Amino acid sequence: MKYENLKDELLSAVDSGLKYARTIDGKAEFELYLFYEHATKVKISQGVVDATDGSVEGNAIRVAKDNMVSFASSSGISVERIKRSINEALSSLRAVSIKDERFKGFCKPKRPGKEGVFTKEILNLSEETLINIARDTVKEAQEFDKRIHAVESECSAEWGGFAVGNTNGLQQASRSALNGCEVACIAVKEEERRTAYEFDITRERLIKTSGIGTKAAQKAVSLLDAKKLNKTTVLPTIWVPIAAASYIVASLGQSTSGGSVVEGLSPLGDKIGQEIADSRLTIIDDGQNPTGINTEAIDAEGYPQQKTTIIEKGRIKQFLFDSYYAQIYGTESTGNCTRQTRIFGSSIPYETSPQIQFKNFAVEPGNKNLDALIASIDGQAILIVDIPIGIFHSDVSTGEFSAVAQSAFLVEDCEKKWPLEPVSVSGDFYNGLKQLRDVGGDLEKTVFTVETPTLVFDGFSIVG
Amino acid sequence: MLTELQKCVELGEKIGAEFVEARFEDLTLRTLSRVNDVWKDVILRSRAGIGIVCYYGGASGYSFTSSEEDKELERTVTRACKMAKASANAASLKLDFDRRTPLKSQKSDTFQVKTHPKTEDLGYKTDLVNRTVDKARECGKSISSIIGRYGELYGRKLFTNSEGSVIDWNFELADLQCRVTSKTTSGSLVNGGAQAGGTLGLEHFNTKGSTPEDIGEEAGTYAKEQIRAKACSAGKFRALIENRLAGVLAHESFGHLSEGDFIVVGESPLAGKIGAKLGTKNATIVDYGTPDISKFGGLWLPYDDQGMKASRTVILNEGVLEHYLHNRGTAKYLKQEPTANCRAVHFGFMPIPRMTNTYFTAGDLTKEEALESLDTGVYAIQTSGGQVGGDGSFLFKAERGYWVQNGEIKEPIREVSLSGNILNLLSNVEGGTKDLHLEAGYFGGCGKGGQFPLPCGLGGPELVIREVTFGGKAG
Repeated sequence: MKYENLKDELLSAVDSGLKYARTIDGKAEFELYLFYEHATKVKISQGVVDATDGSVEGNAIRVAKDNMVSFASSSGISVERIKRSINEALSSLRAVSIKDERFKGFCKPKRPGKEGVFTKEILNLSEETLINIARDTVKEAQEFDKRIHAVESECSAEWGGFAVGNTNGLQQASRSALNGCEVACIAVKEEERRTAYEFDITRERLIKTSGIGTKAAQKAVSLLDAKKLNKTTVLPTIWVPIAAASYIVASLGQSTSGGSVVEGLSPLGDKIGQEIADSRLTIIDDGQNPTGINTEAIDAEGYPQQKTTIIEKGRIKQFLFDSYYAQIYGTESTGNCTRQTRIFGSSIPYETSPQIQFKNFAVEPGNKNLDALIASIDGQAILIVDIPIGIFHSDVSTGEFSAVAQSAFLVEDCEKKWPLEPVSVSGDFYNGLKQLRDVGGDLEKTVFTVETPTLVFDGFSIVG
Repeated sequence: MLTELQKCVELGEKIGAEFVEARFEDLTLRTLSRVNDVWKDVILRSRAGIGIVCYYGGASGYSFTSSEEDKELERTVTRACKMAKASANAASLKLDFDRRTPLKSQKSDTFQVKTHPKTEDLGYKTDLVNRTVDKARECGKSISSIIGRYGELYGRKLFTNSEGSVIDWNFELADLQCRVTSKTTSGSLVNGGAQAGGTLGLEHFNTKGSTPEDIGEEAGTYAKEQIRAKACSAGKFRALIENRLAGVLAHESFGHLSEGDFIVVGESPLAGKIGAKLGTKNATIVDYGTPDISKFGGLWLPYDDQGMKASRTVILNEGVLEHYLHNRGTAKYLKQEPTANCRAVHFGFMPIPRMTNTYFTAGDLTKEEALESLDTGVYAIQTSGGQVGGDGSFLFKAERGYWVQNGEIKEPIREVSLSGNILNLLSNVEGGTKDLHLEAGYFGGCGKGGQFPLPCGLGGPELVIREVTFGGKAG
């Protein structure tokens, strides 16, 4: 498969699959999703090298008839594999009455949005190049400080696309490419171990890896000589962009999904137009940001991706929808159907039934840099400089969370003081949004496809 | 298919690989998910593909394909070999391994269940879910949402390598779950959940405690109880950790740190600590691919994805670190025996050191003695998962719990998190109950190196631990 022909080949297979499906059951509705992705990945960890190169390809079928819907998928995009899925989905449908009265049909054809930008250089990244990049970043980190004990660097180049077709006449495809480098290192001093992580993931240019290793090493070393907080208390917390992004994903990633709203799982469900956060908070989801990691022309059911304002000046404006939940809720899809999440990795898109997910969240920045935010704190606060452990093990319905910030500093009397031994941070995500104390101006793209500045919250419980 | 795999091995050797592993899997995954009265997912997935690992100069290269055509298989082997050679040039730490006597699997290596999921039709399984949801619904008017789920994963796993091993067996896993969300009078939402899963036949769902009605009622009852539950105070308390949560501790906090790949590169704080006293004599942690499933539950894994036969590995023996979890390369490098822990989530990934069934071994306390020993503190029950950092920091969620005063269970408490450093925690384990229980699930699983969700078994007895940090409400 070549990048240039990818969409044509996938669309041609979609067309053949739909024609076959109609011959099997002319009264049923069909939706066919085909996926192809080629990836080269290299990981170097203390001199151990792992390299993988291969293509993930597969198909997924949804069949609907008399308010019954079934799903089948299989690996491969050959005609035989597609037929296998069609027959299995139909077989499930015929085997048992599993009605979904809310289902009103697959996506209607619409003019697609735009694919994101990408550099063709990604297509030519070889395993040798990736190995060299990984080796250089490891070397950089190791040379920074003798206390850097373990460094792992993972580089990847991937490209691919998907096509969707259904019996409403929709046939669309989208493609994209990405390259990335992630460096993790551990600084060790006697029994103390501190970890840090840096990355660059882009589509519009080749990764800029010079300095990543140094930055990760510098961060890890700065966390050494940590002191115990030695108290259980309530303190302001300052979340730098990568930590703030994890907070946004854990709190709003699911609760703004129309699926959670319709199913009664989101406490934000009945709060459209209401103030759910401090007025300094504005968040959009931009599925058409040209450089956004999740930007595609269409979503995973063929609906055009778009830009949606979620929270405006603290008020909830809109939830995110696919066409299924949109029609139940009485609105239009926002183009947020997805079959995979790049955030947590390895689900195979064609094996995943359609669900709702934000594309590229962006938090509107304020004006202060990190130093100014720290200077605005009277008394004590906790500065969280990495993703707290357990932040994603929270529940959308309760909003209660508890996480361990293992990369944190004490802030006291307007100054950043010393690193802290891991502290437990807990509270309620939704109350946290209301107790947002400040929004920084230091906007950063993060690995979670969330672009955010530093956020400062009041009111969380701290145990350290 | 064995012939095709053997051809792949031959081709790999011919084009320069020093050792080749070829594996094929043909798995079926079924997911049924009902949310309230709506069938959200009726999914059948067929996952078939081939993975090739080529070894060269102490390094490895991996490639895979979902095609069974000769030309694509040739391309896949060539790619894997090319990746191995490129890696060898850059590798400064080589992970060679010795050749061994070839292994041949037996028919008896596949766990035999009475009613295999593939023998029952879809209606039988939707009925399991319907019965679960219907029973949960009887548990009160405050319910805002009920999710009933059934999952099954089964199929053939075939493996051969340059030694001539031929491993051919069938994986099987079934799981029935219910999750109930209720609304409190103040409008906040609370949850209750119950599950039965592992390598088991569908007959398991006829046994007491694991019937759809039992699972639905348990989830509904817990959600109802959570309505009046209070938030746990933040701070350090004595704790009684229930079986499933003890399993998450064993898996997440300790098991990952004992994985050979983290050890050889020095990423784990357990590196170089074989023989060190890390916990009390009450802390013994084992990883075992073929435990007594009919007695304890769990997941049946007679071979790993590197063709090694399952073994019982005592990682921590009465507080002393004894062994790591290995693939063949890390075992040789660290001068230990391979432990059959090299696993991949599916054919699209290279196998890496992972756990099988990881658990604390049973102690000698009765439940009453455990509560008495706890005296005053938190009884933490069930779990929605956890996470561990490279320094041994961990955080686990107990889905619910009780405050215990003078050995008596008092009021229920809301979802609560436990955190700390695993090495400190192991030195605070005071005792365990006699009942060992293992569990595995279709939904969720273990994540590592981008490979998620890998089914794993975990469990233990109930553990009494002092000085556990609970994240809750301060003040």
